[in-house]
Amino acid sequence: MPTITKNTLLTKENFIRILENNGQPLANENIQNTSQQAIQKHSLPNRKMEDWRKTSLKKLLEHHFQYGKKLEIQRHFIERFNISGMYSNLLVFVNGYFIPTLSRILDKNDIVVFSNLAEAKKLFSSKFNEYFNRTQSHEVNLFSALNTRYASDGAFIWIKENVKVQYPIHIYFFSEGQNQKIISQTRNLIIAGKGSKASILFSYHPLSTDFMYNNTVSEIFVEHNAYLDFNIFQGEGYDSFHTNLVKVELENQAQFYSHTITLCGKIMRNDIHVKFNGTDAYAELNGLTMPEHDQIHDNTLFIHHKSGGSISRQFYRNIVENNARSVFYGKILIDKGAKQSQAYQLNNNILLSSSAKVHSKPHLIIYNDDVAASHGSTTGQLDTEALFYMQTRGISKKKAQTLLLQAFANEVLNKIQIEIYKFYVKTLVRKRLQGEKVEMLCAKLGQCRLEPEFEA
Amino acid sequence: MKPILKIVDLHVNVEGKKILNGINLEIYAGQIHAIMGPNGSGKSTLASVLAGKSGYEVTKGQIIFLDKNLLELSPEERAREGLFLAFQHPIEIPGVTLINFLKTAIEEIYKHRGEEPPSAAEFLRLIRSKKEILEFDLKLENRSVNEGFSGGEKKKNEMLQLAVLNPKLAILDEIDSGLDIDALRQVANGINKIKNKENAFLLITHYQRLLDYVIPDHVHILYKGQIIMSGNHNLALDVEQKGYEWIKKNETV
Repeated sequence: MPTITKNTLLTKENFIRILENNGQPLANENIQNTSQQAIQKHSLPNRKMEDWRKTSLKKLLEHHFQYGKKLEIQRHFIERFNISGMYSNLLVFVNGYFIPTLSRILDKNDIVVFSNLAEAKKLFSSKFNEYFNRTQSHEVNLFSALNTRYASDGAFIWIKENVKVQYPIHIYFFSEGQNQKIISQTRNLIIAGKGSKASILFSYHPLSTDFMYNNTVSEIFVEHNAYLDFNIFQGEGYDSFHTNLVKVELENQAQFYSHTITLCGKIMRNDIHVKFNGTDAYAELNGLTMPEHDQIHDNTLFIHHKSGGSISRQFYRNIVENNARSVFYGKILIDKGAKQSQAYQLNNNILLSSSAKVHSKPHLIIYNDDVAASHGSTTGQLDTEALFYMQTRGISKKKAQTLLLQAFANEVLNKIQIEIYKFYVKTLVRKRLQGEKVEMLCAKLGQCRLEPEFEA
Repeated sequence: MKPILKIVDLHVNVEGKKILNGINLEIYAGQIHAIMGPNGSGKSTLASVLAGKSGYEVTKGQIIFLDKNLLELSPEERAREGLFLAFQHPIEIPGVTLINFLKTAIEEIYKHRGEEPPSAAEFLRLIRSKKEILEFDLKLENRSVNEGFSGGEKKKNEMLQLAVLNPKLAILDEIDSGLDIDALRQVANGINKIKNKENAFLLITHYQRLLDYVIPDHVHILYKGQIIMSGNHNLALDVEQKGYEWIKKNETV
């Protein structure tokens, strides 16, 4: 147990001591060594760093965390988080530990491999060695290096060539502190083989109201002509923290879609890094955040057009309340040889109070002329003309605001491809806008039929 | 019989500037009133003040709507009490479908009256029946409110909302602007069909042409923030023939 006195902030050494010696690391000796060096090199993210300028980790560092325990969780406990009507392949992790008894595979296991990564390392060692940390994830920041060095488990999804996965693959990451402040680490690896197609959902939920911190790294490889729809749902607790790095590599004609929905959490930091290794590939990154009170929701994107002829799109919207803050940092790098690349970025924000803040920063670095790139950013309040128009039809101002915000959010949410999940998220957002608490709602919604929004 | 709307000596400033300068008007159930006037006479200000738009300072006078002090009510309360404003420039609301918008409005109005709102099926029947009455062959319900609507569609949408919400007093602010002759006839026909002994209309218009199809009981000429002349529908014809210059000259005499 690290000794941390009250009022001191966690240091790098504290993190190392909390994270080391928690099971067999996934990384082989080589990778352990390189990531160890990276840990030495990186300092704790701080506001002097370019991509942490607007996100202070102070609120994370003031807690005395310990590593989460392996727990036996009863099925009924997690069934509360069901997405009503969604049939999916399930993998369940609690505090970063795989719970095989709660997992469920609908699609045939011989064409798709769903497993925990620790097991996959034994069963598919050549595949594992070929892909694990191929994205050099330890280079990004201290947390990604710590994850690479020490993480001992996570999800492994390998969709074999030309396989179209029928059911969505839903991975639950639950946290349960049992009155302790805990850290969990997961390390995920997704390989979408040539010509394959699948939808994946990572959802994060608290099982209690403790202070919890998830440090996640996911590596995703979308191979030639494969199609991957990747969803992140962050319904974490009010006092949860998450540093979430997603490293994606796309080969020729690969298509990658991501939808990152952040509805709660004290400090939520998502880094999605996409690298185009091939041509004629497509990547679309969508996201919505809704921070309230003093929460910070940060999406930091890095799209690297390493080779030409590919298209990237970023579309993020933020609704910011009270003293909360949203950060959107969208970096696009187009290499000299990456001719005929197209890169588009759009970020729209609504501030619901005078003390709410948004930091929207586009960052385009383009090394050749033969490209099309654009970026746009808007920040404002709700349209007062529209509010008045609705009021003159008898709709209260509060309800009119909710309708407008819902409409604002729906433009992002409508891009979600798993229909029943889209419906689930829209319901959550609607209820959240009506003032309900998301972490409670997720537990509640699993038990009731979702009421459809009125549509003719 | 009490009037639906009674305006007494209404003075209104906008950004410190006098726009309305002592308006008096009484509208009774079953009546159609038309207010005409040149640009800048205060017509749209009057409509906005009645609907409760912010930014208008009432410096003097009062407005009684169905025994209530209208100026104390919020815009939504006015609507729920039975006041409706058809906008000269209807607002686009991306992402909010017309059907959802109307359903929400109906629910709020019924709730205010202490009545059970119609079921989804009843509501759809209501919309369909109103479209039949208006003879509108439009599929606007599943589109975002006014978004991408043509000028004519926007005005017809105002009429559809009017028919569905069934107000006591409908104020139509330049409903005729931007309409071609066929659309104008359709809108006018709608007004004539919705009009009954229980409700009343206040038409605000610059031109007389709408009044060829909807015959008002009373015509008022608004000029420099005052009603300087009232009469029957022949007054509208005079204005059409002689222009507002004739009024202005008359006023100075």
